[in-house]
Amino acid sequence: MTIYEVFLKKDGRDEFRHAGALDAADDELAIIAARECYVRRGEGDRVWVVARNAIVTEDRSFFAPNHDKPHRHHSGEAVAARRREIREQQAAEGDAP
Amino acid sequence: MTQISPAARSVILAFADDEHLMGQQHTEWIGVAPFLEEDLAFASIGQDELGHAALLLEVLVGPADADIDALAFYREPDEWRSCPLVEANLPDWGDTLVRHWLYDHAEQLRWELFVDSSIPQLADLVVRAESEERFHRRHADAMVEALLRVDDARQRLEASLARMLPLAMSMFDVVADEADAIAEGVISDSFASCLATWQDRVDARFGDQDWAATGAIPMTARTGRHGDFAALLSRIREVLDLDRSAVW
Repeated sequence: MTIYEVFLKKDGRDEFRHAGALDAADDELAIIAARECYVRRGEGDRVWVVARNAIVTEDRSFFAPNHDKPHRHHSGEAVAARRREIREQQAAEGDAP
Repeated sequence: MTQISPAARSVILAFADDEHLMGQQHTEWIGVAPFLEEDLAFASIGQDELGHAALLLEVLVGPADADIDALAFYREPDEWRSCPLVEANLPDWGDTLVRHWLYDHAEQLRWELFVDSSIPQLADLVVRAESEERFHRRHADAMVEALLRVDDARQRLEASLARMLPLAMSMFDVVADEADAIAEGVISDSFASCLATWQDRVDARFGDQDWAATGAIPMTARTGRHGDFAALLSRIREVLDLDRSAVW
């Protein structure tokens, strides 16, 4: 048996989303099982099944370090905070007698 | 509602009873099929068959649930027109899978007899049923094909087929007044006329069978019940019998 990951797409503009996994003997049985196990109540109208071993990935340690590099974040929050601070400081100086 | 003649009733009832019991047999595998995915798929297929049975019975008695239930559950055994294939209790999964394959391939041919039925409801039902049945056959075909590729599974399936064929021939036992139903245009031909086509399909899938040597169990025009029928009916009625008037 092979483990397959199942992805569903609902009608409309939603993207495919991971719905779960299943065991099947081959691709044909996998798509049949996906139909009966994941969309029998109309949960989606398009289905992908992907053999789990066909998914290219790496373990968590390969990706984890980039969580810790704030200089790569470009949300602008730090810059905005600094400019707000300067504005408030200037305003305070202007108000001074 | 179209007026239903006694012959039309017999033919429709035979089909409904087969669908009802086949659905019941399939759904009894829920929780005990060999693996979860198959468990769900098989129960789902069983539900479809129960749905077909309800729709066929509706042709006979109208849409009220109480009327359908009375006909579906509270007839005496000699008033049923199911065939022994669907009445037999099969504890072996291989036998069950082979029965599923044999039944659904015959079922397709059987629905086709109603395509131009003089009863419009039946002609509509053919379209609805086939939209579901093509997935049933695809499931049965894919399972059988996958198992036939593996030596020990192939041997088990072949043994199952040998056990199931005599029972399966009972599908083509027809009700006594079927000829009248054909004359009335309810069905285009006898279900037995589909036998050769079905046998060709069996040969194509499982290899050539020695049909001359395949015994059939005694044909009774669907009036005789298999030894497992009484227990099956009592399981079907188990919850209903607690309180027949309960509303669900």
